[in-house]
Amino acid sequence: MKLTRLASSLLLLGAMTYGAAAQEDPIKIGIPVGLSGANSVVAPSVVQSSELAAEEINAEGGILGRQVELVVADDGSGAQGAQRAFDSLVFQDDVDVLISMETSAARNAGLPIVNRAGKPYIYTSFYEGRSCSPWMYVNAWVPEQQVTPIVDHFMNEEGAKSFYLIGSDYAFGRGMLEFTRQYIEESGGEVLGEEYLPMDGSDWTAIISDLKSKNPDALITSTAGGAPNVTLTKQLRNSGVDIPYGNLAVDEGTAKSMGSDATGIYISQSYLTGIESEENKTFLAAMEEKFGDELKTPNDLSVPQYEAIYLYKAAVEKAGSADPQAVVDALPEVSYTGPRGDIQMNKQHHTPLTMYLGQVKDDGTVEVIKTFENVDPGEQCPNL
Amino acid sequence: MATLFLDILTTSSMLFIVAAGLMIILGVMKLINFAHGAFLTVGGYSAHVVTDAGFNAWLTIPAAALVGFVLGIVVERVILRPLYDRPLDAILATWGLGIVIAQVITFIFGRGVQFAESPISGTADLFDISYSSWRLILVLVAVVLGAALTALLYFTRFGLNARAVIMNENLARGLGIDSVKVRALTFGLGAALACAAGALITPLLSIDPNMGLPWLVNSFMLVLVSGVAIPGLALASLLLGGAQVLVSTFVSPIIGGITIVVLAAVILRIKPQGLSRG
Repeated sequence: MKLTRLASSLLLLGAMTYGAAAQEDPIKIGIPVGLSGANSVVAPSVVQSSELAAEEINAEGGILGRQVELVVADDGSGAQGAQRAFDSLVFQDDVDVLISMETSAARNAGLPIVNRAGKPYIYTSFYEGRSCSPWMYVNAWVPEQQVTPIVDHFMNEEGAKSFYLIGSDYAFGRGMLEFTRQYIEESGGEVLGEEYLPMDGSDWTAIISDLKSKNPDALITSTAGGAPNVTLTKQLRNSGVDIPYGNLAVDEGTAKSMGSDATGIYISQSYLTGIESEENKTFLAAMEEKFGDELKTPNDLSVPQYEAIYLYKAAVEKAGSADPQAVVDALPEVSYTGPRGDIQMNKQHHTPLTMYLGQVKDDGTVEVIKTFENVDPGEQCPNL
Repeated sequence: MATLFLDILTTSSMLFIVAAGLMIILGVMKLINFAHGAFLTVGGYSAHVVTDAGFNAWLTIPAAALVGFVLGIVVERVILRPLYDRPLDAILATWGLGIVIAQVITFIFGRGVQFAESPISGTADLFDISYSSWRLILVLVAVVLGAALTALLYFTRFGLNARAVIMNENLARGLGIDSVKVRALTFGLGAALACAAGALITPLLSIDPNMGLPWLVNSFMLVLVSGVAIPGLALASLLLGGAQVLVSTFVSPIIGGITIVVLAAVILRIKPQGLSRG
């Protein structure tokens, strides 16, 4: 159902494209994304924001007079699917650029294909950091940017000295908490416990009992998104844990549907729907108008995707053509002011970002309680 | 110490509640119901639908049981009855049914996580510590459920017939017991228990298309170890659930997750008939 709708809307987009600019070939943007598998819950929001960006750009006359055409491919949220998706996008559809939010496994599998083909690739998902390629740019956050606001806030405002860390047992979960532990200890805090459960685990009983017996001042969790995050939060609340609770994996939509269990949780992201800027309000209104009831709440994955398409547009315009090498050289030099603010991918292929510390209110909305301007991504790719 | 004791007691209770439906079906029908995990999931989604429609959260449990009973009766009539002479195929059919149910749920509700309201939340004070109220309620539910199932099997006409079918189905049929009806009711009861269990665990879990899957494996192990009897299941739940909590607490939660499966294999190696027999 969804796929057919997607395909038809893409066809429509394609048809509009040809109607408007018959003389020049369109610029093709390849979007490998996890329409099936683990990312399938969030992928539709990413496709929606891409469609809005393409529609807006085409309405304004395209990029250098050429219309934009999106080619969406399912990467199955994993390595095997990503290889197929990248292969067909790069070698069959011959896209000009790849712009996508993907799992780390899918990105790692696709990257060699991107390198071989020599195409610009903008990765729009937050991730564990330190993935480097001359062809890849990242406009989302890495641990250095997400974790520090929460820890700083807990130590300075809540007076927390001892922490407890809980995560899912996989690369992203462990990577985030490893950085968190380091940062807490560097800042003079103490980590009383660091425990993990397998990704499909749902029984947090023993970990929660251990947490209660150690009596820490604050808690930071980094589970896989979706089910593990929800089971952990429910069981924490059911056991009466009410210390300051920073959740590195929850998004606004999940927080809202979780109801009272989510109240008080701290989240740290580069995008929250409550950002009070003209760009964000315009963006939200445009999304609302384009998708209506079908709208998936814009989030910290779909907004970077939207901005990345505009960043690519700026780079092509600066380079004067869609030539891959020229575009890659221009990408770090251009900036775009989007819903998240000024975005420029000028720090070792990564992006200094304004991070927002939010807290979930009683009604499920997230209130921005603190803004951290231009948080540096740190040394991600010193050799590039 | 008190927390550890309560952790063991409540974890065992959850395991007992979840495994009961699987055991009833295996006991009477000699059928391992691989759709058990999917039935748990259906129970979770029933709870979601009930509270979403604005009804009281306590109604989720009887509603889920009713959905499960109807589902069980239909499945028995349409899928299982034609396969009674081919027990292995019947088991495969339940496996396939589990996949179909999960896909239908995904089709209707999507892959995302759903929520249901909890009947109660927060903690209660017991032995000088505060402990999750819902988990304590699950202990009561497990005790009542165990007593009710025992009463059903030993003090009712249906129980007598069921036990007769368990002992010797041909002889029971010869004595005029409608074994087809016994089987149908048993499967309905087992499915109802599974769905009710799904609703009972949702206050502690997320509702998603695969929520029942991890429980299927553990329930299966428990039922095998129990030797298919209610006291045996209670003992197996306490033993294996207790071991899981102890390993999670003192060794590692990751190893704790496989304790039940490993320990069950060891027990079955020593006592192949399970805890209740010989």
